[in-house]
Amino acid sequence: MASSTPFQSQIYRSLPEIERADAIVDRISTGITLGMLKVGERLPPEAVLSEMFGVGGATLREALGELRERGVVETRRGRSGGTFVVNQPQPQTDTIRDWFLSTSISEIRDIGDEHSAIAATTVRLACERAEAHDFDRLQELARALVLATTPEERAPADSRFHIELAVSAQSPRLTDAEIRLQEETVQQLWTPLAVAFDPESATAEHLELVRAVSQDQPEKAQKLVLEHIRRNLFHLIDTKLTLGYAQSIQDGQ
Amino acid sequence: MNPTTEVVHAANALTSWFSGVSTEVKKLSRNVATRLEGNLVGKSKVDMAALVGLDELSREFLTRNTFAVGAGAFFAAESVEEGSRALEWWSRKESGAIGRLDFDLTPGSHRYYNYEKLPFFSTAASTGEQTLWGPYVDYLGFEEYILTFAAPVSVHGNFTGVAGCDIRIKDLEPLIMPKLRGIPGDAALVNASNRVILGNSGMYLVGERIKSGSPDQHRMALDVPHLGLSLIYTPQPQTS
Repeated sequence: MASSTPFQSQIYRSLPEIERADAIVDRISTGITLGMLKVGERLPPEAVLSEMFGVGGATLREALGELRERGVVETRRGRSGGTFVVNQPQPQTDTIRDWFLSTSISEIRDIGDEHSAIAATTVRLACERAEAHDFDRLQELARALVLATTPEERAPADSRFHIELAVSAQSPRLTDAEIRLQEETVQQLWTPLAVAFDPESATAEHLELVRAVSQDQPEKAQKLVLEHIRRNLFHLIDTKLTLGYAQSIQDGQ
Repeated sequence: MNPTTEVVHAANALTSWFSGVSTEVKKLSRNVATRLEGNLVGKSKVDMAALVGLDELSREFLTRNTFAVGAGAFFAAESVEEGSRALEWWSRKESGAIGRLDFDLTPGSHRYYNYEKLPFFSTAASTGEQTLWGPYVDYLGFEEYILTFAAPVSVHGNFTGVAGCDIRIKDLEPLIMPKLRGIPGDAALVNASNRVILGNSGMYLVGERIKSGSPDQHRMALDVPHLGLSLIYTPQPQTS
């Protein structure tokens, strides 16, 4: 058989084709969106960045130039100079709308299935492994969501909480998986396109989850996180139905 | 409580759509049988010569029915001559081009696709009627999340295999969602094993199995012979 099947093609899937400079722009933007890089933070020096990304100086400067143009970073001269994160990248509303139109409900459900699997084990391990300073930190991160005043700040606050939960579970692989899932959906969740999403109930659920983890109640923590993900999933599906099939309610009758 | 006009309207629209597919599949199985009978000229087992022209039937089917992503026929191992091909299955590629789909048919191999044991084949074989299987993840087959329609193929009255088509769940959604969205309140199309094919809200998610028991959950069987389709709906409280 010459051609590979869809599951095999996972192995052969194309390597990122975008230019390396674009890839750097994406990485740094996503890092800020997910709350892994904060506004005000200084990026490592150019020489160090070039080496870490494995690109030449020209490519790196092209990427930083693009980020400056988007208003995401600023380069300051002088002794305390360097490249600083100054703004959240603007969520690309058109891109997010396209995501909803091109992703089917079965695919959205499938993302929810994977997220449930990852999150259920993450919270169980967090119950066993997290310690007092983790609880304080998670509680603070949970509150950050309700304190955020714009959708652009809510997305990183939300994803940061879930990523740090995986961090407190002491598993780099689960943390990687959580980061990937957050990248895939957190902007879709918080960008107000059709149905507004309530930060207060999400925060309340996060806080309740921290309480269950700190009291070492794995059954309860798992139940809470699965309900939390299911509610997120319903919101994504509601948005999909509103954007994709709003017209059909009238047409169907 | 009688179903509302909206429910009846949606049920009729769905019945008509699925009957249309069912008719097309039946026609394909009849055409495959006729072609085999013509090619076999008295021989009892399907050999390479008997397969001539079947590719054309699959191509025609896929060209006419854009909802389908794959179409063709699988034969019962015992009706296939040694060394011949046990199936003719064609699918639409990303580019839109139609190409033959290959499967690993070596028993014992790690990637063995034992289609005779899959419900779309075994049910059509045991009942002698058309069947609908899915949603399912067709691992080692088409390898996507699909529905498969299959109708038995009989040559001179003997079961020889099945002919049918695959529909991707993600392609089906935009085709039938507008009909389901006409129903106010939660509703879903479910298959014979109570698995959701598509729901009109987050309440009934594709792939989930409906647990019966809720008294507000109503069911209306769709009049499409043998496919086992039903519409599940929760009536809205009357507000007058």
